[in-house]
Amino acid sequence: MSTLPQAVVRPEFEAGDLSEASHGDAARKLTLWEKLVDLDGVRKLSILVALMLAWEIYTRLSGVSEFILPKFSDTAAALYDALVHDQLLIMIKNSMTVLITGYAIGLAIATLLTTAAIMTRFGSDVLSTLTAMLNPLPAIALLPLALLWFGLGSNSVVFTLLHSVIWPVALNAHTGFMGVSDTQRMVGRNYGLKGVTYVTKLLIPAAFPSILMGLKVGWAYAWRTLIAAELVFGGAIADTASTQSGGLGWFVFSNQMDMQIPYVFAGLFTVILVGVIVESLIFSTIEARTVRRWGMQSS
Amino acid sequence: MSTRKSLPEPIIRPEFINETIADAHTGDVARELSTIEKIWNINGVRKAVILLGLVAVWQAYTVIMKVEPLMFPTFTSALERLVNDLLQGELIWKIWFSVKVLLMGYGAGMAIAAVLILWGTASRLGGDFIAMATAMFNPLPSIAMLPLAMLWFGLGVGSLVFVLVHAVLWAVALNTHSGFKNVSATLRMIGENYGLKGVPFVVKVLVPAALPSILTGMKVGWAFAWRTLIGAELVFGASAGGGGLGWYIFESSQNIETEGVFAGLFMVILIGITVENLLFRNVELKTVSRWGMQR
Repeated sequence: MSTLPQAVVRPEFEAGDLSEASHGDAARKLTLWEKLVDLDGVRKLSILVALMLAWEIYTRLSGVSEFILPKFSDTAAALYDALVHDQLLIMIKNSMTVLITGYAIGLAIATLLTTAAIMTRFGSDVLSTLTAMLNPLPAIALLPLALLWFGLGSNSVVFTLLHSVIWPVALNAHTGFMGVSDTQRMVGRNYGLKGVTYVTKLLIPAAFPSILMGLKVGWAYAWRTLIAAELVFGGAIADTASTQSGGLGWFVFSNQMDMQIPYVFAGLFTVILVGVIVESLIFSTIEARTVRRWGMQSS
Repeated sequence: MSTRKSLPEPIIRPEFINETIADAHTGDVARELSTIEKIWNINGVRKAVILLGLVAVWQAYTVIMKVEPLMFPTFTSALERLVNDLLQGELIWKIWFSVKVLLMGYGAGMAIAAVLILWGTASRLGGDFIAMATAMFNPLPSIAMLPLAMLWFGLGVGSLVFVLVHAVLWAVALNTHSGFKNVSATLRMIGENYGLKGVPFVVKVLVPAALPSILTGMKVGWAFAWRTLIGAELVFGASAGGGGLGWYIFESSQNIETEGVFAGLFMVILIGITVENLLFRNVELKTVSRWGMQR
């Protein structure tokens, strides 16, 4: 064992001028400018505007080829044009229909699996073996198989979406249910809760942070898988596809093929917008209404 | 509070005497478990049995129903193909290609995230920038950037790395930033009391204190990067030079060698399990679990 270091002995000293210490002008009113800068939204908005300006100015001054980086204004115009005249809205609808179908069926299967896992030890083992194996498998890797089994079409995409939703949701819900404390369970029994009411009134609220986490991860994987699948799928049916079929991923891909780069950016903006809306509006609202309101999670 | 409802009346239950308590018995707790029960109680055994059962069902289904091997090959043929391709070295080469690209993208993403985070902790402008950028780019599937990346960096490893950086960067930055923000003021003040400032303050106080979030970010980043890489190789694998594991799957499916598809999927699962359950689990055990920050 090494010896302990020597204690540091500091020389004595007297602080002389404590009375002269000043607090600064704490009583000063903030100027309007400072108040504005202190607003979170204002700062973030100005960063956004600055980024857009930088983009616009850079593309104008450097004379970058518009096939490499189009002007911001062109991109905005393309987005408007695609929304109003082109079929971007229909494509968003197509994408969302497939996504919601896959997500809903995936949730249903995950619910069944989790129920089986909670009721019996065997079910729990089956679920944990399956998730350990299949959760690390990117859903998109199943697309070639799905195309073989279900043919070209939205069925294959729904199949891969199922795979991307089931495992994270089931895994998180199962850990959530397992983590519900015995005290809470016993309180529930004391109230005479049994069977379905026991699950809906006690287990689900108690495990809700995990369940919500699973739903969010499942959404994130599904969204990524969908876009990727539409990119692949777009390539697979490139020669026969009319622009009316296919979703957002296909919009991005086909415009890139046609070298309509402003429209590629417009497609990406749309993808970001949809993502932001789902993540920040839908899931945040659910969070605020449930786990945060119940005090289970701080913001 | 004038509209407040009156409280429900308490329920008064009738008195009762439980007569037969003396007859209650506890079952044969002293009974020794039989060997079968003991074996069945081992976790690994049960899981292995389930795994074997699944494999047996697969094999039996494909053999007995005489399923077209092009649609659904038998388990043994898929395994044979996997072993064959591994021994021939072709598959190992493709795995190495994928892993190399993944590591490059992951490393670059982590480095950029570190720089961003340092800026974010040093200034309010940086923090706002990170909040903005992560809110915008985190919901954007990185694979959607691939068409642009191919335009900017050409067909090749460069585009793949760019897309991977995009997949890792935002997940890590988001989690690390929120982890740093949640480090308690007490810990910060202790650090300042010790005279830590600037980079040493970040490395010695903030990083260890926020390590659970950072690890979560790294795990999420890995998951997104792995999914993105396989997706990217599936979509545009051939263009990226040698082609990796995703390309192997795609190629096999194009040639309708379905055993090859399954062999590739086995490999993807194996690598995924290795990284998630061995690598990250061990890092967690050595750090956050050992420090008592996470059970």
